[in-house]
Amino acid sequence: MDLKKIRKDVAVVGAGMTVFARRLQETGKEMSWEAAKMALDEAGLTLKDIDAVVLGSAPDAFDGVHKKGEWLLDGAGGTNKPFMRVYTGGGTAVFAPIAGWWHVASGMFKRVLVVCEEKMSSVQPHAQSAFAHIWDPILDRPLRPNLVWIFAMEMQRYMHKYNVRYEDIALVAVKNKRNAVGHPCAQLADPTITLDDVINSEPMALPVRRLDISPPSDGASAIVLVSEDVVYEHTDSPVWIEGVGWCLDTTMWTNRDLAFPKFLARAAKMAYEMAGIKNPRKEIDFAEPYDPFDYKELQHLEGLLLADPGEAAIMTREGKTQRDGEFPVCPSGGLLGVGNPIAATLGIKIGEVYWQLARKAGPRQVKKDVRTGVAQAWGDLMQFSAVVVMRRR
Amino acid sequence: MIERIEKATEIRHWLGDMEADHYYYSSGIAGEKFFVALRDEGQILGAHCAACNLTYVPPRIYCEHCFAELTEYKDMGKRGCVVAFTIAHYDKAGHRLEPPEIFALISFGPCTTPLLHRLGEVEPEKICVGLEVEAVLKPKKDREGKITDILYFRPR
Ligand SMILES: [Zn+2]
Repeated sequence: MDLKKIRKDVAVVGAGMTVFARRLQETGKEMSWEAAKMALDEAGLTLKDIDAVVLGSAPDAFDGVHKKGEWLLDGAGGTNKPFMRVYTGGGTAVFAPIAGWWHVASGMFKRVLVVCEEKMSSVQPHAQSAFAHIWDPILDRPLRPNLVWIFAMEMQRYMHKYNVRYEDIALVAVKNKRNAVGHPCAQLADPTITLDDVINSEPMALPVRRLDISPPSDGASAIVLVSEDVVYEHTDSPVWIEGVGWCLDTTMWTNRDLAFPKFLARAAKMAYEMAGIKNPRKEIDFAEPYDPFDYKELQHLEGLLLADPGEAAIMTREGKTQRDGEFPVCPSGGLLGVGNPIAATLGIKIGEVYWQLARKAGPRQVKKDVRTGVAQAWGDLMQFSAVVVMRRR
Repeated sequence: MIERIEKATEIRHWLGDMEADHYYYSSGIAGEKFFVALRDEGQILGAHCAACNLTYVPPRIYCEHCFAELTEYKDMGKRGCVVAFTIAHYDKAGHRLEPPEIFALISFGPCTTPLLHRLGEVEPEKICVGLEVEAVLKPKKDREGKITDILYFRPR
């Protein structure tokens, strides 16, 4: 791996995002178009300026349509252009931007549109029905597991190994649902939520309770990536993608270290090396780690090497990860506050880091001056992580 | 365009299905050995990689870390301990489970990969990481060579 020989630097010059909610009326194509158009408008570009399109979307089974890439093609602006779909489950939210990045970094394309879409409301009776088919058909499925149960086991392993208190984990849900207040796309914002509300919410699969989880949603998000060769035609203050990394652990989820995400630490080290970051805790100003469950924010901060194992819970309790704290985490409101249309969470990970660094985050803007941020997403059968470091130079 | 509509019945929509209605899944070479031994001998088999000092339960024909071919199968016995567990109150369709179902990862010893299964004959409050358990199998005449030939694991 030679992370130094990248040909072109790549910047984000626009981002767009739809409301996250159950959206039975619009098609996935229509939502894709809405988000893509917003990103192009912010970049001051039109579709004819775009050289290539990358689409991210999670399982075909959500829509009940195979080859979802070509299905969403026209709404994503891919007609008659070099086009590809990438899919790494929830990790698609950050991995699709990485695929867009290599289109530009390779020197092949100057302006690339990345669109991520998810419509989880089509599948009946519930999105869990689609998830039933991600398991090993012979070893796992006859036992009828569901995703929440598996996450519950991982959360429990994390709490057990690092002696983490449930109350500290639940504080993440409180923080993110409050941070989402004022986000124009938020589905789950709650200005008055308290720790007791989370602790007393219904048990789903203990230790997981209803408010520890971000439920299914529909939506789309998009970004525009451009090469260093043309970036100043579009903006005076580009937000650069400085490092990217990704990694997968074994297919057999039972065989992984469920307490510490080693695959994420590898992805993070790859991104940090490319970005020239030696001490991530000193050099990174804020983070948007993937938070479909509250414990995942903590585990991901630790996997990103921004906290020691178990320490992220203490940082949360001490208020350090609040938007105005010393190390803001999920200032967007995250998946817990804004919503969880799987791949479309691009808008609250890569999108939020871009808006924060470009000082366009409005009421969500963190107070301290931020120059370097990290976005991360997690997915496949909970074994994949993608990491992107972004910076205002 | 961004109105929130909560009720499916308020919007015209079309129902449809994906038409392939079933699949044949293969248990594989190592899987075949595992399920035959479970059905006929009541054994839980693993496969050992000497180079990595790791035993895969259920067995496989290769080690994913060093790519060695694995030919050494061994009976892991029926006793193990709980590595992680959860108490499930809802099924995947959101219906309440009464009583709750208990799932666990069971380890058959150091340097082995854990097996997913259910716990039974146990008070939920008494389950902890490290709890020692044993497999309860269906009677031999009822076994079909499936993972559900193991009914559950219970404390020992
Ligand atoms: Zn090996």
